Amino acid sequence: MSLRKNPLLALALVAVALAAVLAAWAGTSWYAAADDDAADFAASRDDALAAARQAVTNLNTLDHRDLDEGLDRWEASATGELLTQLRQGRDGFEKEVRKAETVTTAEVLSAALTELDDRAGRADVLVAVRITVAAPGEKPQAKQSRMLGEVTRTGDGWKLSALGQAPAGDSAGGNASEGSGEGSGQGADQGSGSDSGRAGEAGQ
Amino acid sequence: MSTTRHLINRRRRTAPPAGESPAAARRQSASAVRARPRTRPAARPAESAAKQGPVPARRPRGGGGDRGAGSAAPARGGRLTAALGAAAVLLGCFAAFAAVQASGGDDPAAENAALVDAPLTSEVKGGVGEAVEAVFSVDYTDLDENRQAARTYLTGKAVGQHRQMLADVREQAPSQKLVLTTTVTDSAVELADDGAARVLVFADQRNTRTDTDETSYGAAMVAVDAVKDDGRWRISNIDTFG
Repeated sequence: MSLRKNPLLALALVAVALAAVLAAWAGTSWYAAADDDAADFAASRDDALAAARQAVTNLNTLDHRDLDEGLDRWEASATGELLTQLRQGRDGFEKEVRKAETVTTAEVLSAALTELDDRAGRADVLVAVRITVAAPGEKPQAKQSRMLGEVTRTGDGWKLSALGQAPAGDSAGGNASEGSGEGSGQGADQGSGSDSGRAGEAGQ
Repeated sequence: MSTTRHLINRRRRTAPPAGESPAAARRQSASAVRARPRTRPAARPAESAAKQGPVPARRPRGGGGDRGAGSAAPARGGRLTAALGAAAVLLGCFAAFAAVQASGGDDPAAENAALVDAPLTSEVKGGVGEAVEAVFSVDYTDLDENRQAARTYLTGKAVGQHRQMLADVREQAPSQKLVLTTTVTDSAVELADDGAARVLVFADQRNTRTDTDETSYGAAMVAVDAVKDDGRWRISNIDTFG
């Protein structure tokens, strides 16, 4: 069966060869893409960031009428050192909030990771958050907060293992109440946010 | 010579279908394992050829019967052609599927180079930090410096935003002898690619009235969008979360 006598066979051979080359090329690039460390790393980054945002929101949200539920949510968002601290302080904090009858809500304004160690399962995160505290008989107070956190991967997803205010370097304990013309001072000073476009500010 | 071939050929034609072409059957089942349901029809030519095995008149192309002694080769060629065609279709389908998978166009996480591309991330951080410090620092002795910084580091919407934010400071600077210094304390890159980025910046601000020797401190946070322009990162939008 010579190829010259059977043009169709020749055509089929060419088609197969062509298809094989294509398949090999596409297969290799698929393998490369699927095996891409960068893609895994990017996915971890986004997972860690999403978890951090949610956890920071949770840890700055508390309604005195649902204390147990709220504090349970705090603990569910935390791990490690932070979880230990929360558990230790829970009773005292509960009493305080029950007495003050406050309703605290939080909105993450912006957040990003500064570092991610995917292998160790740890990441550092910067979070800009607006916290609104409503006490009975008072106008709700909104303030913006600069937070530094650390998230750690657990068997149950990423959780916050540390959270605190970003230190104000220059002021050494001084406060930010005197707005210097721009930046965070403005929004907080003017109380209820002037930015009506933002959702989630129930204001209570 | 030709008679033997003829005999072989006839024996082959009259053989029961099951034993007719074990190789073809094997090939078929192998391809069925690899193929997705959609590609199965491609295997059908081989299947029907096998079924039609015992009926010489309906043999696949090649017209073996007409040529007498030479019929064996074209018949085998026909089956081979069909099998090759099927293989080509399968390989083609696989190639298309793999190419779509490889392109990963539906994975937004992979498009954001923040942290993934460490050099780019630190370049963005450095560039944006430099820009923020420059445009939010004002010295009453050299107001032009701030104006120059704005020209260098701002673009688009940020130009107007910056002018509005600093209007008071610039106005009062000469009479109060103001020196406003902004220092970036922390920053994190939220989004980055080759030409655009979004960065969250925490900064400390020190504002000194030299005339009365009063100093106030401010803790600022801003989210800025930046674009790379002429090898320099320039701020294109400033979000103060107001």
